[in-house]
Amino acid sequence: MAREKVGALVILLFSVAYGLMATKIPLSFLSRQEVFTARTMPYGLAVAGIVLSLAIIVLPTVDPSGKKSLSDETRGMDWSTAILLVVLMLLFGLVMKWLGFILSSILFLLGGFWILGERRIKRMIFSAVPLVLILWCIMSLLLGVYIAPGEIFYQLGVF
Amino acid sequence: MWEGMIGGMMTGITTTMIPINIAMVLMGCFAGSFIGMLPGLGPITAVALMIPVTYGLDPTTGMVLLSGVYYGAIFGGSTSSILINAPGEAATVATALDGYPLARQGYPGKALAIAAYSSFSGGTIAVILLMFFAPMLAKVATSFQSVDYFALMILGLTAVSAFAGRGGVLKALLMVILGLMLSTVGTDQTSGIQRFTFGSLELLDGIEFLLLAMATFALTEALSIVLKRDASSDSLKPKMIGFKSLKVTKKEFKFITPTILRSSILGFFVGVLPGAGATLGSFMCYGMERNLASKEEQEKFGKGSLRGLAAPETGNNAASSGSFVPLLTLGIPGSGTTAVMLGALIAYGIEPGPRMFVERPDVFWGVIMSMYLGNVFLLFLNLPMIPYFARLLAIPRKIMVPVILFFSLMGVYLVTFNDFDIQMMVLFCVAAMALRLMNFPMAPLLLGFILGGLMEDNLRRGLMIYDESISFMWERPTTLGINLITIFILSLPLTRSLLSRFRKKETPLST
Repeated sequence: MAREKVGALVILLFSVAYGLMATKIPLSFLSRQEVFTARTMPYGLAVAGIVLSLAIIVLPTVDPSGKKSLSDETRGMDWSTAILLVVLMLLFGLVMKWLGFILSSILFLLGGFWILGERRIKRMIFSAVPLVLILWCIMSLLLGVYIAPGEIFYQLGVF
Repeated sequence: MWEGMIGGMMTGITTTMIPINIAMVLMGCFAGSFIGMLPGLGPITAVALMIPVTYGLDPTTGMVLLSGVYYGAIFGGSTSSILINAPGEAATVATALDGYPLARQGYPGKALAIAAYSSFSGGTIAVILLMFFAPMLAKVATSFQSVDYFALMILGLTAVSAFAGRGGVLKALLMVILGLMLSTVGTDQTSGIQRFTFGSLELLDGIEFLLLAMATFALTEALSIVLKRDASSDSLKPKMIGFKSLKVTKKEFKFITPTILRSSILGFFVGVLPGAGATLGSFMCYGMERNLASKEEQEKFGKGSLRGLAAPETGNNAASSGSFVPLLTLGIPGSGTTAVMLGALIAYGIEPGPRMFVERPDVFWGVIMSMYLGNVFLLFLNLPMIPYFARLLAIPRKIMVPVILFFSLMGVYLVTFNDFDIQMMVLFCVAAMALRLMNFPMAPLLLGFILGGLMEDNLRRGLMIYDESISFMWERPTTLGINLITIFILSLPLTRSLLSRFRKKETPLST
């Protein structure tokens, strides 16, 4: 199946789900009497999304690059590294509150370098630590933005 | 008209010439060149990455900085196109066609210098044209009503799709719809009703524009470098360029001057068209120059022709300036990058559109006049820096990619201080990556997202004014005129495909 059609199928399902969820948007008694309510635009968009995605599925694919199958397009791609980076970003979001900006950022950068194949520890540290500290100094000291330390420091009684 | 323009120019000069704004133009040009030079990162990413820096600044200063980043990134993109045949984005692909062969022939410095002179000339001529056309259009547009704005937004959204590549119209339109859907998340501004928030407090204010811009562009660009095992950033030998090699002879200047003049004008008017942008500008100028060239010269195209290099470089810079016309006068972005800038304007609390010309002349004229300064900075300060900038291309991707990811995530986190936003960014990044792999463009999605709220508000207001009837779409002459243009633009791809089928049918008969 052409990759464009796979994409259109996914968006078709999304549009149907969006339209169904639009019916759940609460309306007050007064707003029900109006022609244009909070549901109007979502309804219109859901219909447009369904019609357009169906058109892409039904009509022949013109774009030569779109005709490729998804497996052809993604063959030979470095999925493991990309997935590890996505997981690292998710972890970064989770630990940010606990470890604070400086520690979690340094760990994120070190992890990123490691995932991408860098093994020279000195190079990794000399790239990550100054970068994070400079950014922290710019934000905190120069621009006066307060960046709260991590929860862990409060728990340990450091602050 | 002249008095107004001279007054405006004076406002622009006084606004631009304050030290902070001069510093921001300089910083924008440097940062833009720096980011734009990295393979895979284009002006949209560069502008999105710099938006968080502008949040603490005055709106004029912020816009001056972002404009500098924009044309700096276009300039920077040409450098990586010429040196390693890795265009930062689509607008500099045409530059690589002749720039890279010229560099391979042993003239990387000359190619970079011609690119810089062409960019400077294209940018400067286009700014002069912008100065004339933008106020005229803004004055006409001050008589616009909500319904006209609604029609204009439809025009902007469909125009982006109409200029999509072969077979890309439906996909681009679908992405616009997807962007509009995302814009409905959060509290409805008129009724106060929550839509698609799933009870989450974080979604009450809707999705942050910056979050979506970073996730769909900066993060996905970095991840696609990893996915495609793009090692092009490791392949450059930075020692190959020196100051002396940046020289261009008088004869060569004379040779490319008519090309620059022609491409500046064509590039500007292509850029003015909503949705066309710098990519179409550069390719159209390249095509025009090739058609105009003698047969002998035509054969040199693609093999290191000076005209083939000067035309797209002039064209993409002129079109970049041209795309500011619909942004500043109508509040309709002319390209993906100006769509991001439109989002920034809204974030500053400025309502883009013709009223901005009256209410915030400092922003309007400040941006225009700062472009002059930006072009001068790019030529006289960035050109000598090219040998140093080019060393950036030697930074291995295993260091560069995590740094780009870090700055993208921090760009959003340091504005909102909400770790939920990081999770949401990753989610959007994965979805955007999947859509890109399925050959769906991202710029229309962002455009739909930015214009969604404004579009709904204007339609609602229009319906209230016209007694809940949509007759304004054909009864009001201005709205009707805009709608007819929309229909015309939408019918263009269909006409093109019918014409090509007709020609194909004719060819076998004639042979």
